[in-house]
Amino acid sequence: MFFVTYLRRELRRRMRQAIFIALGLALGIGLVVTVAAASAGVKKAQSGVLSALYGVGTDVTVTGAAPGPPKPGSKSNNDQNNYGLQAGPNGQTEICTSNGKCINAAGKTIDQLTASYAGIGQSRVAEAARLPGVTAAAGGITLTDNTTTFGHSSSSLPQSSSFTLDGVDTGKTSLGPLSGASLTSGHSFTAADADTGVAVVDSGYAKSENLKAGSVLTIGGVKFTVIGIVRQSQASSPPDVYVPLARAQAMSLYAGSLKGEVTTIYVAAASAADIPAVSKEISGLLPGSTVTTEASLASEVTGSVTSAAKLANDLGKWLAVLVLIAAFAVASLLTMAAVARRVAEFGTLKAIGWRTRRIVAQVLGESVAMGIAGAAVGVGLGFAGAAIISSVAPKLSATVPGSSGAFSLAAGQAVGPGQGGGVPRRPGTTASHVVAVPLHPSVTVGVIVLAVILAVAGGLLAGSFGSWRIARLRPADALSQVA
Amino acid sequence: MYKLTGVTRLYQKGRRTVAAVQDLDLSIEDGEWLAVQGRTGHGKSTLLNLLGGLDRPTDGTVGLDGTDLGALRETQLTRLRAEKIGFIFQTFNLIPTMSAAENVEAALIPLGVSAADRRAKIAAALDAVGLADRAAHLPSEMSGGQQQRTAIARALVKQPTVVLADEPTGNLDQDTRDEIIALLERLWHERGLTLVLVTHDTAIARRAQRVAVMSNGRLTIHQATGSATASGIGPSAPSPSG
Repeated sequence: MFFVTYLRRELRRRMRQAIFIALGLALGIGLVVTVAAASAGVKKAQSGVLSALYGVGTDVTVTGAAPGPPKPGSKSNNDQNNYGLQAGPNGQTEICTSNGKCINAAGKTIDQLTASYAGIGQSRVAEAARLPGVTAAAGGITLTDNTTTFGHSSSSLPQSSSFTLDGVDTGKTSLGPLSGASLTSGHSFTAADADTGVAVVDSGYAKSENLKAGSVLTIGGVKFTVIGIVRQSQASSPPDVYVPLARAQAMSLYAGSLKGEVTTIYVAAASAADIPAVSKEISGLLPGSTVTTEASLASEVTGSVTSAAKLANDLGKWLAVLVLIAAFAVASLLTMAAVARRVAEFGTLKAIGWRTRRIVAQVLGESVAMGIAGAAVGVGLGFAGAAIISSVAPKLSATVPGSSGAFSLAAGQAVGPGQGGGVPRRPGTTASHVVAVPLHPSVTVGVIVLAVILAVAGGLLAGSFGSWRIARLRPADALSQVA
Repeated sequence: MYKLTGVTRLYQKGRRTVAAVQDLDLSIEDGEWLAVQGRTGHGKSTLLNLLGGLDRPTDGTVGLDGTDLGALRETQLTRLRAEKIGFIFQTFNLIPTMSAAENVEAALIPLGVSAADRRAKIAAALDAVGLADRAAHLPSEMSGGQQQRTAIARALVKQPTVVLADEPTGNLDQDTRDEIIALLERLWHERGLTLVLVTHDTAIARRAQRVAVMSNGRLTIHQATGSATASGIGPSAPSPSG
């Protein structure tokens, strides 16, 4: 075909210039692809952190207010699982129950359960599920079990340990903390486990406590049989143990029990566009509660992953744009120069009957061919850039916010008898923590398509300047230049 | 064929206005061979450009077969050149990256001729100029004479009615010059072309049926006594006034 032959021969004639233009475009496009891949990787890393925080499929999380201390004379003060500490007459530490009985703490272990948030009536879960834009809602309870062991000597420091515990709706495990977990052994909850003494344990906790499927776990004096071990992203600071919601509600807590209540409601919206409206509706339904979405949580997650996101989005994007502009400018200038050198050739073609648009098509074809070559090399450079980032970039980290609502036991506070002979318990606090975030830049099909479009656009832009000159060319003037 | 009436072409050179052609009247019959002589810068090439529709007169009319070329749109002029007018240039003006056959083919592209027809016409055109064995050669692989023959083949492949040649032998040595002129004369005779040839060479000009001399943009017709007239080839020469 004459068009292709002419195009090919002309590019071969000015091979060096064609390579220079293609490489310039390749550099710009390679940078765009690399930055887009890095951005996609950082975004994926951020999403991984955020979705792990309250599980896949959960769009809105509702938590109660921070739990307050038990009111004097309230039922919780008479609960046998509530304890307090005070200094005895001889300076020893004493454990006191709510009925005022105090014993020496030496050699004793106290085990205390506390809720991370104040309770929300369980009926609110069904109300939230009926809100417009909501596809599902599930309730959950977040507890912390703190164990303190006092030494036999008054000079030895008490040893504390704690683990976190989540009560989950076993009929809706696709929402909430278990939704992102993957089973490593045994089996997970079924709807039939709604009020049974079974537990699922996080793999990290299972390893440290030497637990496996079939092991028996005691929580707040109640025995649970481990039915499965799961693994979760550590970014989510997953609970150590999961039990059916009804069993968690029945547990005796420091500040009372959560019978008929939940501390967290997990809500799935019909679509991403519905999330803001759903958040607003829930805030209206539950004033005083804390409503969080991925967007609001995103602003709380800090660390180098956030800095990397800013770097990719701001500096990276603008650098890529600037390099592309420079590449387009150089391509345009060189194409115009090439057209200027071929004025006599184009004048001759006009003289022998070629229409301007046919000559313009030839020049545009040459420019687009260089652009496509630039795109091919640029995508390759982009892949290489993404691979380099993957191998040499420093590990990212994310500082995720911790749960709140814990409080300290005041000295002299009335307490009740506890696990292991009556030992007071201290409510726990989950602080913010840093998690390592893997960065895997990914070149998507969309980015490749964008690269080709940019390259073709660059070629067309470069060719259009030359085409403008051809359109204005008068054959007589062009031929007189040869003479 | 051609009727030029009161044709003037003015150019602006800074603040000066230059008259490349002034108030020119000229008739050229079908099948006539007209040579145009004159010193450099006196309007020969401008006249050729006006005849070929490559330029438009500032004043007057350039009529070709009854059509005023100055009134045509650019696309119409381009179409006219594609179908009816062949050009031959002093510097050959071949596309350097295309072979002889491909350069000849370039003249057929605007006419939408089928690939098979194109091949046949190209072969015939190159054969007519004695370059059948050079079809695949690039201009850089041919002599000056061969390049000009390729340009002649390109001009004639579309079976034009008019051939406009601007100093076709200007860049050639004496022997090659004679070869090219002889070739042009033969083809003019065989095909009944209207040939307008610009030349500095008086010997070449005398071979034409008529000679026009351009001086300061004005044209004067002289009767030729060259072989074209003497042998009775072509139409009889018109009167000196044109």
